[in-house]
Parts: sequence; structure tokens; C-alpha cells
Amino acid sequence: MYDVLIIGGGASGFTAAIYSARKKLKVIVLEYEQGGQTALQPEIWNYPGYTGLDGAKLMQTMKKQATDFGAETKNFVVEKIYSEKGDDGHEIFVVEDKNGNQIKAKSVIIATGAKPRKLGVPGEEEFYNKGVTYCATCDAPLFGGKKVAVVGAGNTGLDAALQLTKYAEKIYVLVRSSVKGDPVTYDKLKKDPKVEFIFGVETQEIKGDKFVTSLVYKDKESKQTKELEVSGVFVSIGSIPNSDFLGDFCEKNQYGQIVINPKTNATSRPGVFAAGDVTDIEERQAIIAAGEGAKAALQCYKWLKSNH
Amino acid sequence: MAKVVIYSTPTCVYCKMAKDFLTEHNIEFEDHNVAEDEQARAEMVEKSGQMGVPVIFIDDEMMIGFDEARMRELLNL
Repeated sequence: MYDVLIIGGGASGFTAAIYSARKKLKVIVLEYEQGGQTALQPEIWNYPGYTGLDGAKLMQTMKKQATDFGAETKNFVVEKIYSEKGDDGHEIFVVEDKNGNQIKAKSVIIATGAKPRKLGVPGEEEFYNKGVTYCATCDAPLFGGKKVAVVGAGNTGLDAALQLTKYAEKIYVLVRSSVKGDPVTYDKLKKDPKVEFIFGVETQEIKGDKFVTSLVYKDKESKQTKELEVSGVFVSIGSIPNSDFLGDFCEKNQYGQIVINPKTNATSRPGVFAAGDVTDIEERQAIIAAGEGAKAALQCYKWLKSNH
Repeated sequence: MAKVVIYSTPTCVYCKMAKDFLTEHNIEFEDHNVAEDEQARAEMVEKSGQMGVPVIFIDDEMMIGFDEARMRELLNL
């Protein structure tokens, strides 16, 4: 039986693990997407104290810090979560994977993060990994000398475009309404002759034979349908929380984000806390996820002290 | 001993994980950096019919992405 069960091995999960382990609690971190979204960032420029930090390295260090303080880690995909009455009469929490393996704990911190949002247009599924990708860090180098489209101009989209400037011959950044990413990156891209921003775009279809050959979109102003010849489509239109496995275990909002008390990271269920991108906080940043993980762990520690 | 070949890019986290895993278990592997080696890239796309990395061959078994459980199984670890 663990004191704290942390689901998710990203920035918030491992920060929560560091704080819990330093309180000498018995902690386990269940990781499946190792290092979370932070690990997919090759260069992080806004994590205070570091410049141009490799996200994967940051996550390795966090993990080592957590395990050095005594936290355990396990590759374990949670399929089910519920509670039952423990031997001492307290409510305890149980998670199960698809093979029915169980892990039990007195408290839970959910830090499962988010995954890329899909466009939901024809061709997207069919050409996944055949030109359609959600991870510029992983796949940008494969598009050397090719024409590509980046859909979305938030930070993820702009970062994808920036990574692609090293490889691709031409990069179209397709913007629905306005550029929402950091102006620093936007300015850099505007100066690059390989990059072209197209505004008022509604993506309609991704076409190809074996691999992607073009992207069809509607120009929202002229209402005309246009086709861009590209062999890569980098979808970067935000994220959706990894919260399906929870069912109605704790309260979620209309977007599937776990509703937390922003002061305490408590969910609607006593003994269950949540942190980072899976929650209904507004900003999605590595530093914020880490901070939220720390908050959740400290509150969880207090809760354990007064309830167990 | 199984022949292990991996097609990877230097920035891909899952590639790094796969390679770390192999190194940790003292398993030799042939690494092709498809970001630079265009011929290897074409080969990978041809063999796997897709463009995601890593693509890992353990003898004739192809794996797309890093699946630790399957890798353990194929390498009898």
C-alpha cells in the first residue's frame, strides 16, 4: 500500500513525487508517456534558471531527483480507478491496468497531462505517420527539402514551424484567426523567407495516395476552396486532457478537464488531487505544471496527516 | 543473438528511450540517423510504409514506435 499514487510521469507528476518523497511518504509514479509533453520540447527558453534546455533532459533529471529521494516508478497504464474500504476502515484507492493488475494507495494525485487535439477532417487518420504528425520534435527532420503545412499558430504551432525551418524547403503556417503564440517566435518566423503565414484558414481535408500530397482548406473570407501541395501536415491546434479513464470518478468540466480547487489542487473527491495540464487551470506551461505538482503534493501530505 | 536495427532522429525522445533501453541491456544495435542519411530515410519509409520514428527491426520483426513490453518479448529479456 502506497501513501501517494501519482498517475502521470510529466513535469507535474515528477514534481509531486519529489515533494512527496521528501516528506518520507511511500510514493509511486505511474508513467506511460515518459516525460510527458515537456520531454518533447528540444529547447525550452522560458523555464527560469535554464536557457535552451532540452526538455527530455529536464524530465530525466526530475525523474532521477524523485527516485533518489525514494519514489518508485512503474510503466502502468491505468484503465480503471475506484475506491474501497481498507482494512483499517479508511477509504483506499485502487487502480487497475487492462490485465487487472492492481496498485493501492491512501491518496492519489492525477497528473496525466494532455494529448494533441485532432483536426477531425478526412484524411487525418488515414495519413497519420504518412505525412500527418502531431510531434514536430520527433518528425520534423524527416521532411528535409519538402513542403509542409503547420496547422495552428499557438506556441506549439510556432515552435513546430521554427523546428521545421532547419529542414523543410517551404513552411506554410495555417492560422484560423490570429497568431496566439509568443511574439518572439512569431517575429523570428516572419523574417524567414521559407515561412509563409496564411490567415483565415479552415482546414477541410488532407489528401494523398500512399503519403500526404496536399491539404485542402477554405479561405474564410473569400469562401474559396484552395489546395496546398504539401507532403507533411503538422497538426498543432492545442490539446485535450488525458482524463477518459476517470469516468465519473471525480468532477470534470465540459472539456474533460478535472475541476480543481485552485488553492489546494483538491478534486471533488476527498483524498484525490490533480495537477498540470489535465486540470482546468488556464495556462499550459512546464513551469506551471511543475508548480502545480508541488502544490498538489504539499496539500496531499496535509490531507494524509489529518485523515490517516 | 538478434540483429537490431533502429531508424531514428537525434531529437526524437522515443528513439532516445529505445536506444537507452538497448544500451542498458547490453544489446548491440545499428543506428541510422534518418535526419541526415537520406538513403536510410528512403529505406525506412519504403520498409515501414510510414514516416514516424523510431522504426525498429529485431531480426525480421518490425516495430513502429518504442514499445518496451514488445521489445522485451522479442529480445527475451
